[in-house]
Amino acid sequence: MVRVALRGVRAHLVRFCLSVLAVALGVAFVAGTFALRTMLSSTFTDIVATTTLGDAYVRGSEAAGGTGGPDRISPEVRNPVPLTLVGDLEAVDGVAAVLPDVQGPLVLVGADGTAVQSTQAPSFAFAYDSRDPAVDVVDGRAPQAADEIAVESATLSASGLAVGDATSVVVGGEVRPVTVVGEIGLGAALAGATVVFLDPATAEASFAPDGTVATIAVLADDGLSEQQLVDRLAPALASSGVPAEAVTGDEVREQSTANILTVLGFITTFLLVFAGISLFVGGFIIANTFSMWVRQRTRELALLRAVGASPLQVFTSIVLQAAIVGVVGAILGVAGGLGLVVVLRGVLGTFGMDLTGRVPVDGFTLVVSVLVGTLVSVLAAALPARRAALVPPVEALRDEVLLPERSLTRRAAVGIALVVLGVAAVVVALLDPTADRAGAVLGIGAGAVVLGVLAASPVLARGFLRVVSMPFAAWRPVGPLARGNVTRNPRRTANTAGALMVGMALVGAAAVIAATTQASTSAIVTQEATTDYILRGAAQGTVPEQAITDVRALPDVKAADTFATASVLVDDAPFAVTGIDPTAVGRSIRTEVVEGDFPGALAAGEVAVQRTTMDDEDWSLGEELRFVGSSGVETLTIGAVIDSPAFGVPFVVSQDVLDPLFPPDEQRVTTVFVTAADGADVEALRGELTAAVRPYVVVSVMDSEEFVSDLAEQVDRVLVILYALLGLSVVIAVLGIVNTLALSVIERTREIGLLRAVGLGRLQLGTTITLESVLTAVFGTTVGLVLGVALAATLPTVFADVGLRTLAVPWGSLALMLALAVVVGVVAALWPAVRAARLPVLDAVSTE
Amino acid sequence: MTTPVIASAHELVKVYGAGATAVRALDGVDVDLVRGELTAIMGPSGSGKSTLMHCLAGLDRPTSGTVVVDGQTVSSMSERKLTALRRTRIGFVFQAYNLVPTLTALENITLPLDIARREVDQAHLDLVVETLGLTDRLGHKPSELSGGQQQRVACARALVARPAVVFADEPTGNLDSTSAAEVLGFLRSSVDDLGQSVVMVTHDPTSASYAHRVLFLADGRLVGELRDPTAEGVLAALTGLTARPTGAP
Repeated sequence: MVRVALRGVRAHLVRFCLSVLAVALGVAFVAGTFALRTMLSSTFTDIVATTTLGDAYVRGSEAAGGTGGPDRISPEVRNPVPLTLVGDLEAVDGVAAVLPDVQGPLVLVGADGTAVQSTQAPSFAFAYDSRDPAVDVVDGRAPQAADEIAVESATLSASGLAVGDATSVVVGGEVRPVTVVGEIGLGAALAGATVVFLDPATAEASFAPDGTVATIAVLADDGLSEQQLVDRLAPALASSGVPAEAVTGDEVREQSTANILTVLGFITTFLLVFAGISLFVGGFIIANTFSMWVRQRTRELALLRAVGASPLQVFTSIVLQAAIVGVVGAILGVAGGLGLVVVLRGVLGTFGMDLTGRVPVDGFTLVVSVLVGTLVSVLAAALPARRAALVPPVEALRDEVLLPERSLTRRAAVGIALVVLGVAAVVVALLDPTADRAGAVLGIGAGAVVLGVLAASPVLARGFLRVVSMPFAAWRPVGPLARGNVTRNPRRTANTAGALMVGMALVGAAAVIAATTQASTSAIVTQEATTDYILRGAAQGTVPEQAITDVRALPDVKAADTFATASVLVDDAPFAVTGIDPTAVGRSIRTEVVEGDFPGALAAGEVAVQRTTMDDEDWSLGEELRFVGSSGVETLTIGAVIDSPAFGVPFVVSQDVLDPLFPPDEQRVTTVFVTAADGADVEALRGELTAAVRPYVVVSVMDSEEFVSDLAEQVDRVLVILYALLGLSVVIAVLGIVNTLALSVIERTREIGLLRAVGLGRLQLGTTITLESVLTAVFGTTVGLVLGVALAATLPTVFADVGLRTLAVPWGSLALMLALAVVVGVVAALWPAVRAARLPVLDAVSTE
Repeated sequence: MTTPVIASAHELVKVYGAGATAVRALDGVDVDLVRGELTAIMGPSGSGKSTLMHCLAGLDRPTSGTVVVDGQTVSSMSERKLTALRRTRIGFVFQAYNLVPTLTALENITLPLDIARREVDQAHLDLVVETLGLTDRLGHKPSELSGGQQQRVACARALVARPAVVFADEPTGNLDSTSAAEVLGFLRSSVDDLGQSVVMVTHDPTSASYAHRVLFLADGRLVGELRDPTAEGVLAALTGLTARPTGAP
């Protein structure tokens, strides 16, 4: 039987190739997703591995407030350590070098006069130290004076600058003219981060004005282990009297990596979910192909049974062929998937997001992909193989072999049950959106609904296609033929459309989420911001203090309200807090107050807390909270509860309360709301503002509409990656349709021959197959979009707290998707239609 | 249109393959088929009878020689013209797999008219359907019809477009004797009553006895003919044919 199996593969090479293609497509999707995930995380762990080279690190041993998060890798906030420790540490025996980690935010002005920035990636500067093994001057020299900088290689090419060029940097709100004197290599792709090096004295003056830093790296002499070094540093730290501790480099690298992976957690989870879906879609295509494959060969199999093969032998021969198809397809699929990732990396690179150059091949991806391809193939073939093995041998003698089609009742019942359960779960989540697990319940419910619809889709397909193909009934003979073909085997039509359905459900959901996010953002701005103009810092940078002073000095400006944000410890947990001028409430922003008197509480030195935080922490109005900042500690009373997505932080206090808690350089002001003076010409004010902030390069002036579209653009940029992945799933779904159609053309060779014999022209035949394909694609797209949109429409109710409040359905985009489905159908039909038209009539009508 | 010949072949040669493995399926066949007659083509397996019919019907291209159907030279037609010819001038009945499984009996019958976008002649359709006893089966799918009914639907399809000639390839090969008699009786009456021309390939002497004229083929050559045959006469001629040394005239 092994020989029969192998011959079977050889004799039906086209079918074999198409089956292999189906497996390869499914596996490519899985391998691509896993590899992308690996590449993303290895890019960031590479950064840690190549930039964190110290043998030991000295850091504060007490928790404290501070700017935390955005500028430092560790979200854990500790007390800073003084630079005076450097001397003490250098004196310790076995220490080769002591490198204080002097770094901070900096904006680099590129060759085109605008800030160098890329999507969501930070922009910062380090002190250059020649003893640091992570840095390497590849061109020019190291910076030696306040007006000199060195720039990291990728940043340099992104900025358009060259060594020797004069430009400016913005540090701490101050614009400094500088010369690029060198290019520095870091040995890792930085995922778009902008990195500049300053000479140590300038860096210390800018980023450590109080003489403290977060950590100090220590390099050991050769032969000393990291633990030995830490043991030797401990007594020196103890005798210094500073609350500080020494830890090994390995421990810091481990923590940094863990922290990065936590920050990347969302993307990782997303990609995992996506890989799961891709597995599912791939499995669909594979299973579909095999059930057709077995059906086509039923006669041959019955013949084997007639000459004495046992059902088990027939079964084994099919499964063996499936395994061959699975392994070959999986290997090709892995190669294809990695190729896709390389392409995707190129695409992301053009968006300014450099990822690691390593080809992301890891054992896990390989094993999972090959196993998935083979197992799914074998499992997918097993069911039809069992049916085929039990075909009575006499079937071989009949002309038309019809496998008994199981009734669709069972699938419909399972599908309806799943949909009902899923909808119930969604309703539960909607009824109590504040419950702990509402999101998870919604997710599970949505998954069940999708699975249920897929299970019931043959029944759905029959009804849907009968109705949708109605208008074509009069288009004889093409209409009735195409209609008959798609409704003849609803199971196959549904399975063909299944992959597209899942892809389009994701596209539909993503489109709704994107539109909703933008609508919510714009609603927040239009509802809460009553300001005339908004000043924004570029590259997530701050608006320089001097710029704010200059703007306030303009005669036409009534007020320029700042939102200063810092990270504070409340009950030992880190939170973000924003400080505002209490008079700004009602002047430039409008906030929904749930309880208490918002401006009154601020003016009285109390704290206003967001409703969601109150609920989470179970606090009540009037309760006292202890705020620990980096330069002070205060006990504040909760004076008001607000519900304001515009603030986006849990705590709002008066600027007068914030100042003692944090020094000015730890307060980030990224947005300033400017209100025009009474009677001032608002149009003219724009010109005045633009002129006032021009010297600061990094500040842009927007009205609220521009502000909304600026925010929307940021959302769009994040969505680009999402769309790229979704595009991939749609491409694979299209190839799945091509595959099924091509196989069904082979299956219908005789029928096509008959049609040609009685006079059907090639063009008519091609049109029929194209119409079939379009009907299938429209079915998959419609059901997918309806599912995706309906499920995504529930998000604003459940996730109102994270800012998704205004549901928006992008009908235009959805209509475009439906039009796209027609195009998809036509494109998918091209090859099968040409193939069918080229079938010689005689070959088709004469018996095999 | 007034010539008595509906289809003719001249010096028809069909070679399959090339070189040492070449097979001469037709080896110089000259034949005229008469309008308004039921002609049967007979011969042992491998005699070339199916090939002859395929060439006459424009389904296959001869290696050399000419085929003229209803005054048009089929052997030199382009694929597009052949398609048009098949849909307007020729009707087909095959041994099996005659019907499109997704279409109802009625849709199958009118398929050639639909393809050609021609109006259905309702009176003619009713006549054909009634003659074949299919009136109450029109809404059924092929899978719901018996083998005999399926072949009758195929006959109806071949006749409804009023083709110049109907080619039938072993039309009763898969049928029991009762159904076969019905189908053959109908083909004969379509000639006698409707003035249709029918060419039928068969290896069954009983089937051939329904014809006006039987042509015998052996090894790619025309080796004899019978007019107004009986089953016994055909059988005798066939026995003589197979007993004769191969290649004899």
